Amino acid sequence: MGTVAEINKMATASASTGPERVAVNETTDMALFVRTSQEDIMGWDRKRIVEALLRETFIDRDTAENISCQVEEFIRSSSIKMVTGPLIRELVNAKLLELNLEDTRRMHTRLGAPLYDVDQLLVHPNKENANVPHGPEATNLTLAEWIKKEYALLHVFTPEVSDAHLRGDIHLHDLGFIDRPYCSGQSLEYIKKFGLNLPHSLAMAKPAKHPEVLLAHMVKFAAALQSHFAGAIGWDAVNLFFAPYLVGMSDREVKQIAQMLVFEFSQQAVARGGQAIFSDINLYWEVPKHFADVPAIGPEGEYTGKTYGEYEQEAQRFVWTIFDVYKEGDGAGRPFFFPKPLVHITEKFFQTPGHMEFLHHICDVASSMGNTYFVFDRGDTAKISECCRLSFKLEATDLEDAREPWRMRYCALQNVTINLPRIAYEADGDDTKFFTLLNDRMKLAVNAHRQKKAFIEKLLSYGENGPLALLMMDQDGSPYLRLQRATYLLGMVGLNEMVQYHTGNELHQSPAAMKFGLKVIAHMKLLAEKLSKQHNMRFVLEQTPAESTAYRFAKLDQRYYPSAAQKAIKGTLAYGEIYYTNSTLFNVSHPMNPIERVRAEGLFHPLIEAGSLTHIWLGESHPDPKALADFVIKVFRWTQNDQITFSPEFTSCRDCGKTSRGLKEACPYCKSRNVDGITRITGYFTKVSSWNKGKLGELKDRYRSKM
Amino acid sequence: MTLFTKSDCTRCMELKNQFDLKALGIKVEKLDSDNAEALSHLAWHGLVEAARKHLPILVLDDCSSLTDYNEIRNHLAQEAQKTGIACVNLFV
Repeated sequence: MGTVAEINKMATASASTGPERVAVNETTDMALFVRTSQEDIMGWDRKRIVEALLRETFIDRDTAENISCQVEEFIRSSSIKMVTGPLIRELVNAKLLELNLEDTRRMHTRLGAPLYDVDQLLVHPNKENANVPHGPEATNLTLAEWIKKEYALLHVFTPEVSDAHLRGDIHLHDLGFIDRPYCSGQSLEYIKKFGLNLPHSLAMAKPAKHPEVLLAHMVKFAAALQSHFAGAIGWDAVNLFFAPYLVGMSDREVKQIAQMLVFEFSQQAVARGGQAIFSDINLYWEVPKHFADVPAIGPEGEYTGKTYGEYEQEAQRFVWTIFDVYKEGDGAGRPFFFPKPLVHITEKFFQTPGHMEFLHHICDVASSMGNTYFVFDRGDTAKISECCRLSFKLEATDLEDAREPWRMRYCALQNVTINLPRIAYEADGDDTKFFTLLNDRMKLAVNAHRQKKAFIEKLLSYGENGPLALLMMDQDGSPYLRLQRATYLLGMVGLNEMVQYHTGNELHQSPAAMKFGLKVIAHMKLLAEKLSKQHNMRFVLEQTPAESTAYRFAKLDQRYYPSAAQKAIKGTLAYGEIYYTNSTLFNVSHPMNPIERVRAEGLFHPLIEAGSLTHIWLGESHPDPKALADFVIKVFRWTQNDQITFSPEFTSCRDCGKTSRGLKEACPYCKSRNVDGITRITGYFTKVSSWNKGKLGELKDRYRSKM
Repeated sequence: MTLFTKSDCTRCMELKNQFDLKALGIKVEKLDSDNAEALSHLAWHGLVEAARKHLPILVLDDCSSLTDYNEIRNHLAQEAQKTGIACVNLFV
């Protein structure tokens, strides 16, 4: 691209010889050139404005001609020598606004980013999601997300829904991934049975013969799925489904597979946008009841002649070894961030020999590295867990699918979160107004889901040649994405602050506050069920992870409801480190006995079908694994809590490479201050340097339990 | 005491027919799709999962609960005897 002077010189040269001279004179009578979006420079042509308006909008030709003439006249009178395509478009849009043609202007919108913003983005890290690194691939991702966000808000959602998001009444998650579903849960059985045969792939792989190859297929398939889903990729019963491949292997060989599994997923920071795949592996000590009699698939996709119940020993050896790997940590002794290991604690777990030794083992890992997630499946409950706390509860039909586990594919299509404190501010103590507003926001969120569903259905309708070909691949008589089984998540942020403003007390401060909080969530659950019947879609409540939403809502409420919000918002206002408490959690700074926190927060969990979690922040303390095991058993037996984690903190030294316990200003080994903290942000481990301001405020406030 | 019931529950109906629950000072909470208050009380007592499996559930004054129908029936009969309030019909 030349300078303006060079281009004018070129224009003069071309104008002096060829027919272009005539064209230029006829239109503008000046050497006006346009930098187009197609990376070239063209002579001015007013008709291009008319063509664009007629192509992209429903405007009539006469009005389009009229607008183009007005824009041409404006440019002529301003003596501009060169204009850009975007500038012309904005001039046309300004004319459309003058004519009160708002719908036409919306259709004629150009999506893009200001030069300054792109310049900043290329240099500074994006902290909206701590799992996005900083680098060229990450900035590609962020730039694409910017465009798709704008597209979603202009074109996928109605102005009512988009405006509610922009105001902060609700939050539409993953707008930058508008053209894909949210999260995916499946088992290894799909690739064990069908191999790796992805649409438009350059090579097809038959079902794996060896465990290393199965692992390679798993990792590649996870990367392919990451390109088609916005969030987490979860795998069910990984140790069990690997088991038929591990028969006859030595302990050393099994350890090698376990190491490869953990390292492959933890080092996948080379996939989409340089992100690690947000991956979850569901693990069992026992053989889950619904898989015990299922014929096992082994090497080459063949049935082995045994049931999975007969592979208990191999499955147990593998899961034990996987936790050996977690305990060792990475090459620098740091905890692995991914894949997240979720151990299901069930009644059968306690009936399975060796469970106490295994429980001590995974509690040892929880205490030393923090990795273990304890998922409680009481009674006949069975579920696949993933993301920060999302779970797909298996219903009767799903348990029938368990006979052919490759059919067990679940997705959440989208997550929409409701700003609860704002409803309290607007209701100003009036119960009737409060629940009316809550109903309105829930219906708005449901409309957002219906609009996204319609958009995804449109993309899916292009089938194998469309953008979601992978989700339409059909190996077993139905598309990979089983849309009829999709869930639509309704999240909530700031129940604690909402209750605080409405009742005068935080959740932990009075039974009345707690009871009002339960009533709000019970109301949301019942309304979600009614709306599900009305629209024939599964709307379910989920505790929103709210990594950035808790910060965003707090900032917006501080702007729009300053006097009300300052009574409830948490964090340090002076530093801008403000936040709302995540979902239905209690105030993170309240010094609460951990078992009481788990019990009390757990009262909400049975009302929240799509997943809940209680954190126990450990800080520097390093509890006895046996004490943690007792704690876990108590939680299973005596509370309603769905899932717990123990989160220690670490300091990683960038100079000497050593890792120490606790968050420290300087490395205790080499005294360097070039250190980074590591702990859980919402539901996963990350480096503290990648956190947004709201989460940094929360980190400072967290009460660390001494167990 | 609170008795959690729902409309299509035969055993809940049996208890209502057998005992004068109001006279016994028992609050009846009917779980249905419009009653967030009842559902939140159930959650407060940690009984949401239990209620999915069986109803009625009786929550006692000390916050302990009975989920077995025969235990609930016996407990209510004892209460009726203590307070001198006759059962409406123990043979229903």
